[in-house]
Amino acid sequence: MLEGKHGRGARKAMEILVAYGECYSAERMIPVTSVHIAGNYPVLMDEGIEWLEDLAQGGTKVSVYTTKNPEMFDFEDWEELKVPEMYQERQRRIDAVLRSLEVTLTYSCHHYLLGNVPRFGDHIAWASSGSQVYANSVIGARSNRDGDHVALAAAITGVIPEWGMHLTENRRGQVVVETERLNLEGFTTADYQAIGWVVGKIVGDKIPVFVHLPADSAIHNIKGILYTLTVTGAVGLVHLVGITPEAPTLEAAFGGTVRPLDRISIAQKDIDQAYREISFSSEEKVDIVMFGCPQCSIQEVQEIAALLEGRKIHPDTELWICTSNWVKTLSKRMGIYNRIRAAGGRIVADVGAADGPHLYLRERGIKTVAINSARGSYYAHGIFGMDTWFGSTQELVQTAISGKWEGNR
Amino acid sequence: MMKIKAKPVTAGVAEGEAIVSHMAISFTGGMDPDTGIIKEPGHELEGKSVAGKILVFPMGKGSTTGSWQFYAAFKRGNSPKGIINVKAEGIVAVSAIITGTPMVHQLENDPLECINNGDFVKINADEGYVEIEKNK
Repeated sequence: MLEGKHGRGARKAMEILVAYGECYSAERMIPVTSVHIAGNYPVLMDEGIEWLEDLAQGGTKVSVYTTKNPEMFDFEDWEELKVPEMYQERQRRIDAVLRSLEVTLTYSCHHYLLGNVPRFGDHIAWASSGSQVYANSVIGARSNRDGDHVALAAAITGVIPEWGMHLTENRRGQVVVETERLNLEGFTTADYQAIGWVVGKIVGDKIPVFVHLPADSAIHNIKGILYTLTVTGAVGLVHLVGITPEAPTLEAAFGGTVRPLDRISIAQKDIDQAYREISFSSEEKVDIVMFGCPQCSIQEVQEIAALLEGRKIHPDTELWICTSNWVKTLSKRMGIYNRIRAAGGRIVADVGAADGPHLYLRERGIKTVAINSARGSYYAHGIFGMDTWFGSTQELVQTAISGKWEGNR
Repeated sequence: MMKIKAKPVTAGVAEGEAIVSHMAISFTGGMDPDTGIIKEPGHELEGKSVAGKILVFPMGKGSTTGSWQFYAAFKRGNSPKGIINVKAEGIVAVSAIITGTPMVHQLENDPLECINNGDFVKINADEGYVEIEKNK
């Protein structure tokens, strides 16, 4: 491939992988079974689209199942969402280049609900820090924190350098995380995200091992911890003892070796402090309430619909439920879609709540966002300059109805 | 002048004024590609530009979309000239690879202790060393 016998794109891809592998002293390339790529327009920008178009020149194609993260707007509802022409043009260019690369056009960050389901022990390349840590920690597949460039290179060549998370010896736990001082029974999914926020800041790139989470913890709470840990830390794998396939016991999480361990214990005051750090607004009036970072599952859509039942959202506030086209279609079939519409909200497919609609929302004067995702709050503020409030799903629904921030922290 | 052995991540030579962070850096959300200014609230380098500098920091963090941000910053002339990490991590390494930015890591001495803001630093990623001239 390096000689260019498989085309220019394959050569460029292999050059990236070789250099990347060399910097980690990888000894060989290993086959990947699944790839997920992330960048949308606000991330790629014009320079990134040009880079992709150049890569696709000469008929470059992916060689393994490759899915794509959300874009900026719903391909079916661009008119209603009043998406400016410039952004439409950019998103359609990205769509065209991905189609030519033969990427599966899911535009979703819950691709593991859409058939991109690796098996335990599979080597994969998922370029989305949240779903990557999900793959390692919940599925037990093996992915490094590969950026889009590496993941695309893996999709094209079918291989990845063997280093880091692909090797068993690097998957052992390093820091024990105790949560016994917290009253987890009363915790919302937002509270679980606050745990992730705190732990990520402390552990950096070390592998945390949670020892007190109930084995029947709801998947949304587990995702809350995992997706937030990657925002404040460089964490690729979290052992949740009794939940993570490789960590049925504390000993297994540490690879069977008992040695002196770093230990941290989270207190309620850490959680309260995290809430103060995750909200970046002091504006009482809320312009938009957003759910779906990561994109809402059908269960989450159902939960929001139930909370909205028989109520109307404030005329000066919008409510968006961001999800995949698949969940939107399901919600139509189940009648939930119309119930959300009747309450004044909308289900928006192909976007995530921190994935770029903010660019055009801001242009029509929307500034203050309430969101039930710590990750979404951090990126909506950091990338798009929004004023953000972070709270639970219940608080957000209440906020949408009154038009004012209703969080109690 | 001090010369320290280092492990190359990419190739090439770069020299310039050092800017040092003891905190990890996220290019996504943490750096403005239009100016090269670090904008993460509470970050040690908040409000300071890394454009055209030799950027010294422990490692990358945050979203894996960081290499696109770095690529755009590079195309707009606002990326650092060279990178020294304590330990290379994927996002920063790929950013350096796709932009041809000279980058080294795993220095024989801790770069966060030997290098201060304003020192003149030369990275030789072809031969694997860093030279430091202290700013008096």
